[in-house]
Amino acid sequence: MRHVFTFAVAPILLLVVGCAKAPTDKLAAAEQAVTEARTAGAADYMAEDFAKIEGMLANAKTEIAQQNDKVAVLRDYEKAEQFLVAAQTESARVMGEVGKKKEEMKAAAIQAHRDAQAAVKTAQQLVAKAPVGKDRAALEAIKADVRGLNASLTEVAAALEAGDYKAAQSKAKAIQDKSHSVSAEIQSALAKTGAAKGQKSALAKKK
Amino acid sequence: MSLTTTVRAALSIVAMTWWLVAGLSACVQNAPPELLQAVEALDRQLVEVQGAEFAPEEYARFVDRWVAVKGRLLAEEDVIHWPWEADPLVTDLHELQEDGRRAAATAAQRKEAKRLEAQARLSVMEQRLRVFDGLIDQMGSRVVLGQRPIETKVLVSQARSLLEQGLYARSLRAVQEASRLLEVQSALLNAELGRYADASKVEMWRRMAQRTVEWSRAHGAAAIVVSKADRLLTLYRNGRRAVSYPVRLGFNGVLEKRYQGDGATPEGQYWVIKKRDRGQTQFYRALLLDYPNSEDRRRFQLARTAGAIPAESFIGGQIEIHGKEDMFLSQTLGCVMLDNREIDAVFEATAVGTPVTIVGAMNVTNAVALALAGIERVGEDQDAEGADVQDVVEASAVEGS
Repeated sequence: MRHVFTFAVAPILLLVVGCAKAPTDKLAAAEQAVTEARTAGAADYMAEDFAKIEGMLANAKTEIAQQNDKVAVLRDYEKAEQFLVAAQTESARVMGEVGKKKEEMKAAAIQAHRDAQAAVKTAQQLVAKAPVGKDRAALEAIKADVRGLNASLTEVAAALEAGDYKAAQSKAKAIQDKSHSVSAEIQSALAKTGAAKGQKSALAKKK
Repeated sequence: MSLTTTVRAALSIVAMTWWLVAGLSACVQNAPPELLQAVEALDRQLVEVQGAEFAPEEYARFVDRWVAVKGRLLAEEDVIHWPWEADPLVTDLHELQEDGRRAAATAAQRKEAKRLEAQARLSVMEQRLRVFDGLIDQMGSRVVLGQRPIETKVLVSQARSLLEQGLYARSLRAVQEASRLLEVQSALLNAELGRYADASKVEMWRRMAQRTVEWSRAHGAAAIVVSKADRLLTLYRNGRRAVSYPVRLGFNGVLEKRYQGDGATPEGQYWVIKKRDRGQTQFYRALLLDYPNSEDRRRFQLARTAGAIPAESFIGGQIEIHGKEDMFLSQTLGCVMLDNREIDAVFEATAVGTPVTIVGAMNVTNAVALALAGIERVGEDQDAEGADVQDVVEASAVEGS
């Protein structure tokens, strides 16, 4: 009887007690946490941290797959569970930080957009005052430039809409800088025209 | 049992207990906090140097091992070991620290190489743009390109901003897009102005001019030839060159005239149909030409039918050779403009019925063709400079290794 227990029942008991189960619940929870972090913008605003989290999740899945390939009694999911816990913990940390970073970036991008709009508007107003008939080619080129800058503002708006605040801010800054250059060019031309008119009057008086 | 025996037994028990406790204490795991902090600092450093982007394999290995070590710390593994044995957890932490340092160094080096590459490509692009702008101004064809020049400049400026923020991949993409726009502009210029470099077209223009000169010889009268690329008006008397004057053209002068308001100066064989003297024109003195002639009308109709020009456009007219209303006037709306002293000479030498031939160029090495060749070289130089950029990047990689 003792031999029957030893050679029949004991192995069965060992199999039942010794088989580890794949951490499917923890995997689902970790995947959910990573998805939430991605949705919150972690991939854009905390790219490195998010890459680390994705790496942990990938490692966990690889480890689970490797363990699943083994004989049931030899499976050990402890390492996989460590990765899943780490992924979930890191996701929670990133979720706590990314919102603030995103809002900061958004505010900066919106302000840059406003600054660019103001600069383009100034350039448009100066174009309206630009001396007609003097250097027509330069005037036509400046008009085309201002039209181009105005059109580029729509790209900034589109980037803001898409939540790509880095692209929006850098584009807006570039538009603002170029608008200032165009405005300076027109103001220089206006100044020359003013000087020329003064010279012309002086010459007319001499005649 | 005697008292002595009892005391000896008690002391033995105490000593054994003490040894047992001491032995166990010596074996209890305690990861040195400064070592843990050092590894955590490396973890943060790897995030700062963008380890996942610039050293993905090394970073993945570090994270893999770091997570495993942290798991062991939490599970309090390796609690007991003999004091004379090396602590496996401490050993692993030291190895992890070395791994982390190597990964951080690799990431930092590759990041620096990327920065150098982005910087070099941006500098090349900025130089290309400067040269391109200069050539466009030389041709007087800026208006042809519309909004594209400013869009290109905005992209290059954006690339500079992205580089300064450490967003090297994005900066490179912006440079790539700017380069593409530059190629679009080059193609547009070639489409509009390539005829200035076309030997057969230039030969046709030369023959037109030659016919006018022969007419002057045959009739013993004056004739005028205007070369747009050279911005030069030449007065012929009796088939001989008498004098040449620099001229100013329309604000889009070098283009082929298509419709009223396009700023182009027409090309073709015309005649002076009216002379407007002082008081009869706002431009001091003027010679009115018979533009549009039958060939101009034919071309205009074809272009309108093909949809190449706006349906509501007009062919225009009132093309003159005239003086200056204003000493500061730089271009015309399509006419040929001279200084007033020079228009005096031309006005006196010509009459109604004087032939005026306006051509694009008189030789293939004209200013527009040379500028187009320069633009093509700007594109070719990009490939050579790309190789130079690669050398800079590889040199920095060698220095860092």
